[in-house]
Amino acid sequence: MKIEGTHELRAPRERVWQALVDPSVLQRCIPGCERLERTGEDSYAATLRTGVGAIKGVFQGSVRLEDMSVPTHYRIVVDGKGQPGFLKGAGDLDLEERDGGTVVRYAGDVQVGGTLASVGQRMIQGAAKMMAAQFFTALEAEAQVEQGDPPPRHGFFRTALRAISGLLRQIFKRH
Amino acid sequence: MARYVGQRVKRTEDPRLIKGLAHYVDDIRLPDTLHVAFVRSIYAHARINGVDAGEALKAPGVVAIFTGKDVSEKIGPVPCASALPELKVPDHRVLATDKVYFVGHPIAAVVAADAYAARDAAELLMIDYEELPAVVNAEEAAQGGAVIHEQFGSNVAYKLTAGEGDIVAALASADRRIKQRIINQRLAPVAMEPRGVLARYLPGEQELTVWSSTQIPHLLRTQLALMIGIPENKLRVITPEVGGGFGSKLNVYAEEALLGWISMQLGRPAKWIETRRENMQATIHGRGQVGEIEIGCKADGTVTGLRYNVVADLGAYHQLLTPAIPTLTGLMLSGAYKIPAIQINVTGVFTNKMATDAYRGAGRPEATYVVERAIDLVAAELGLDPVAVRRRNFPAPEEFPFKTATGLFYDSGNYEGALAKALENAGYERLREEQRAAREQGRIVGIGVSTYVEICALGPSQAMPAGGWESATVRIEPTGTVTVLTGASPHGQGQETSFAQLAADELGVDMGDVTVVHGDTAIVQYGIGTFGSRATAVGGTAVFVAIEKLKEKASKIAAHMLGTDAVNVVFAEGVFSIKETKKAAAAAGDGKAADADSDEVPEPVVPVGEGPAGALPEPETEGRKKVSIQEVALAAHLARELPPDTEPGLSATYFFEPKNFTFPFGTHIAVVEIDRETGEVKFQRYVAVDDCGRVINPMLVDGQVQGGIVQSIGQALYEEVVYDEQGQLITGTLMDYAVPRAKMIPWFELDRTETPTDVNPLGVKGVGEAGTIGATPAIVNAVVDALSPFGVRHIDMPIRPEAVWRIINSSDE
Repeated sequence: MKIEGTHELRAPRERVWQALVDPSVLQRCIPGCERLERTGEDSYAATLRTGVGAIKGVFQGSVRLEDMSVPTHYRIVVDGKGQPGFLKGAGDLDLEERDGGTVVRYAGDVQVGGTLASVGQRMIQGAAKMMAAQFFTALEAEAQVEQGDPPPRHGFFRTALRAISGLLRQIFKRH
Repeated sequence: MARYVGQRVKRTEDPRLIKGLAHYVDDIRLPDTLHVAFVRSIYAHARINGVDAGEALKAPGVVAIFTGKDVSEKIGPVPCASALPELKVPDHRVLATDKVYFVGHPIAAVVAADAYAARDAAELLMIDYEELPAVVNAEEAAQGGAVIHEQFGSNVAYKLTAGEGDIVAALASADRRIKQRIINQRLAPVAMEPRGVLARYLPGEQELTVWSSTQIPHLLRTQLALMIGIPENKLRVITPEVGGGFGSKLNVYAEEALLGWISMQLGRPAKWIETRRENMQATIHGRGQVGEIEIGCKADGTVTGLRYNVVADLGAYHQLLTPAIPTLTGLMLSGAYKIPAIQINVTGVFTNKMATDAYRGAGRPEATYVVERAIDLVAAELGLDPVAVRRRNFPAPEEFPFKTATGLFYDSGNYEGALAKALENAGYERLREEQRAAREQGRIVGIGVSTYVEICALGPSQAMPAGGWESATVRIEPTGTVTVLTGASPHGQGQETSFAQLAADELGVDMGDVTVVHGDTAIVQYGIGTFGSRATAVGGTAVFVAIEKLKEKASKIAAHMLGTDAVNVVFAEGVFSIKETKKAAAAAGDGKAADADSDEVPEPVVPVGEGPAGALPEPETEGRKKVSIQEVALAAHLARELPPDTEPGLSATYFFEPKNFTFPFGTHIAVVEIDRETGEVKFQRYVAVDDCGRVINPMLVDGQVQGGIVQSIGQALYEEVVYDEQGQLITGTLMDYAVPRAKMIPWFELDRTETPTDVNPLGVKGVGEAGTIGATPAIVNAVVDALSPFGVRHIDMPIRPEAVWRIINSSDE
């Protein structure tokens, strides 16, 4: 199943890039990520508590970053398993500078199995988009923090507020 | 005599069902019960390199976890009862050991203090899978590629050719030959109540009781005894209320054996109630045939030969009857027609999916769909009316018993009678005129006819894997109430009502005095069960003959009570009386003797609540000319004065072995209109005339036909089990698997003809599956007829609006 989208972040590309390759930042930003440990060069072991609709559970898996091209591109390969099923996929992230901010494009292919497939297949694209929005909203907050300052707090409500304000900003920008 | 039989008696089962007072498996609560959750494969095909239960075992409430390695040596394989030549039978263990073969394949059983703890802990089990290529498409699987069961070298489980007549010559010499690819898609039976098992082992008594939502309590007992290794006489299977089966509970499942075994291991009751998701993944599916038909006909529409080459998608394992279902399709390929040459070539193929098995109709809906589509294809090819082509090929009523080229003897039939009645009820000629007018207005209207015949009342024992008979015990208790024990296992069909109607009439008692007991192997004599539209035709006959036997004995006792010989006694309306001889009648003058005597029959024998404690009163018969059968029952139990060589008690048991199947038939007519904008198919009329022989309760027959047609509408228009290319089940919930809803169902105009059978003394044929068999092709034929101006001769099921819309919008009419 194809998943793709674009997000505009109000942060310089360098900072967005740094955030995107920092496991502690990623762990804070990926919704439901409980653990992200480096296991090798650009390889991580992850524990993710997530799901679609009523199908929730803990996924154990690996994340690998490939084709690194600082600060414009990498490919992310994910493989996870849990009781609700499995998911595996790969996607490309491209970072582009625009008006002092950064446009992130992502495009990938995801395969799911188990209950996740039999119950959630219809909803996965929607759920993935929602998770991406949460992720990039949190990532933007991280990238806006001056280096050395304490990281921002996320949590459900903070992220939701940031997402809503981002949405409002886009609406007003169009007018 | 017939006070109840033939009447629309309301189901006596319904009050408890409607009020929520019935007891299904989950309603049975035993103290100290453990709950089981299954860990099931998330892959269609994978090697299991390890199962780590460490975390799960530490979870709160967890008592034990069993994996394939723990049980595969302890519990015998899940049985397959069909024996076909050179059938490949994989070793089907109750839990997967080295490999998993379908999504939903059970890997481990987690036992915990409650169902929530069990399911939470099940999520903690770590399974090390190594994914293998999934075999999903049955036609491709037959050709080669990845092999599921390596020991067999291919995915072909069996090949079978059947039929009589020279098919090659018949097709070669035909005026026209028509070929059509035809699909009966996989369906899920979707019983409203999913499966459920409760098992209780009593270590002291060494007795195991298994409550299971099954259609076959006795057959299940035998198979579980063999699987678990417990003596059959220490195992009791109880089938409480069952919320529908449709064939999906005509089976022996891994979970049933596991629950019994777990209770024996842990010495506590163990329960598992299937979730709907499990039901979609791991309860048998139905249909799943992809084939090609080739039909030869003369220019006048006479069919000369029919060949069906079919690939049957069996799934990963054989369940009880998996390989046998396509053989029923082969048997019924003659339909309601005289076809001199028929051939079926079946290739049964393993795929990485749940097993297919008996789903309402079980092989016959597939055959009827093939034949009824074929007849419409002939009509379209020759430009004839589909009704005319059917009439040209019917056997005449005097040709029965009619032998088909598939080797069957149809017992009785009057196909023209049912067709004529249906055409009249529908107003067929007028419908065709209306269709012409509608088409001129640009509307898309179609009329579909199906003149089906089916095989049911399964069946003679030679044709069945585990006996084709059925049993009944009928007894009259000392206080005069009647108990009927049937070996059939009704689960929604209403035999508690219809068998009581039958028994009440035959014994001349009130229906309220009759109780029908079923579904408990410790109470009811061995029986076969309810499936194949057999319970009334075979089980009802057993009740009928048992009553005959009982009355024979009662007649002897009655004669003794009345001081005469049995030959002088007649039985009518519950009363034995001394036969009026001409002499006696003359002595009575105007023959009113009987009336004068009738007051002497007291009833009830022992009024409930007023009966004497302790000794029961001897019926007073001195000088009487009549005695009720209930008084006879009391005398038989007191046994103080019985005729010589007469056993006390009043009870009779009969095991009825039918000499043949029965072949109900009928005509279904669907009238549909298609929405040009959306492609949606809407019913305008639905007319059915079914002939299931003699009818005991017309309301029950109507209910069976209605439910059957609804499931046909499901197959024709909505339902399909879909696995993706990786073998992932996409239609895993009722949000995704489209069971028809009330608003999709039209009013059914139902009627009947009655052509009794001589296969059983009741003349009953069976009706449980007729609707599912007859209706599907009528609906598809109607849609094809509607779309015929667009050049359509066939369309695959389920007929989704999208496919219809594309046809309408890609054609220039």
